[in-house]
Amino acid sequence: MLESGLCNYVLISYGHNAFSSDSMQQLLMDLSGDDAVFGHFGATGGYALAARRAMHEFGTGPETWKQIAVGQRKWANLNPAAMMHEKPMTEADYDKARWVVEPLRLPDNCLITDGGRAVIVTTLERARDLKQPPAVIMGMGQHHPSTPIAQSDWMAGPTGAKKAGETALAMAGITLDDVDACEIYDCFTYTVEITLQDYGFFEAGGGRDWLQGGTIEPGGRMPVNTSGGQLSEAYFMGLTPIAEGAMQIMGRCGKRQLGPETRTRSPEIIMVSDNGGILESHSCILLRRW
Amino acid sequence: MPYAKPLPKINADNQPFWEGCRRRELRFQQCSACGHVRWPPSDRCPRCHSAQTDWLIAKGTGRVYTFAVYHIAYHPGFASDLPYTAAVVALREGPHLLTNIVDCPPEEVACDMPVEVVWEDVDDTVTLPKFRPLSCGQGPR
Repeated sequence: MLESGLCNYVLISYGHNAFSSDSMQQLLMDLSGDDAVFGHFGATGGYALAARRAMHEFGTGPETWKQIAVGQRKWANLNPAAMMHEKPMTEADYDKARWVVEPLRLPDNCLITDGGRAVIVTTLERARDLKQPPAVIMGMGQHHPSTPIAQSDWMAGPTGAKKAGETALAMAGITLDDVDACEIYDCFTYTVEITLQDYGFFEAGGGRDWLQGGTIEPGGRMPVNTSGGQLSEAYFMGLTPIAEGAMQIMGRCGKRQLGPETRTRSPEIIMVSDNGGILESHSCILLRRW
Repeated sequence: MPYAKPLPKINADNQPFWEGCRRRELRFQQCSACGHVRWPPSDRCPRCHSAQTDWLIAKGTGRVYTFAVYHIAYHPGFASDLPYTAAVVALREGPHLLTNIVDCPPEEVACDMPVEVVWEDVDDTVTLPKFRPLSCGQGPR
């Protein structure tokens, strides 16, 4: 639309009073259909099915997911806007957290948030003299398996992330080695693991070792979800990761800014994901500094 | 005491399935055009989009493909069941069925565990297919 001149700016926004109302709960309940007959509801149950199958097929589990939950919480504690700012979480805190739908504990679940977020997309030509330096879209890809989770025989991957990631990297003409950080749609900790795995950062089941030593944390070699993400900052659907990716590229992230401030690489390229349903659709976008 | 949990929403697509359950027949669909087997019931084959469908009756055995153990009740009707197990059972004939595992403590449920159907009459018209562990030595091939 932008390139054909149909419009000059595209505003992509999300806002919801999900925390102060029961509308998110109602939305998820309404999507349950006849699964509700068997007491199967909402998103946590569906991702619990997927996470359990992944435990069976490639040996993942809470020891992997804990590193994601705790790592992202460290980023949230550098972000005054995060719901979990000043609420540190240790591995021991994770271990004793209550089950919601096993194998997922409370800190494996994203937040429910009042608020919103927006990004504006325009042409590079128009962006040239804007007040802020833009984040440039260098590649994108989508893949939508579109299968209800109970009918899926690929719950443990590959999800849509595999083809979507390959498509985006090919469009950009880069490899994962060129990526400085990731902003991954993280409705659940398992979603982060399976997305990074399907993008190719590690082999099936290799996440536990890959995450060891604070890989995704401040100071780590591959920072992930640098605002705290949906697990620890705020849940605004796909806008949480994409807005953070753009803000990091623009250098507007204060104490959590990638670069010397957080002992990480200054971000030239950030890989961003979005995911829909219970692993039913996937979008990947690559952002770069101009 | 009236049944306190959600009941299935019966429509023209799924009526044969629920009628089967009432008669203790676990029915599923097979596409007459491409042979794809499927559940839940649908008007068209999700693989080839043909509307030509045969109804088959499953033997009622299969394996747990995956499961989730609920520790909170999203609906008050399930509060007294906590913790309970929702599961996807892969029927011997192929289709995946969303159901519950019963007669088995949640900590003993495992992926690939052999199971068999048990029927739960919940009111005068609706019967639910649930699954319990198959006793040793009788596992499906």
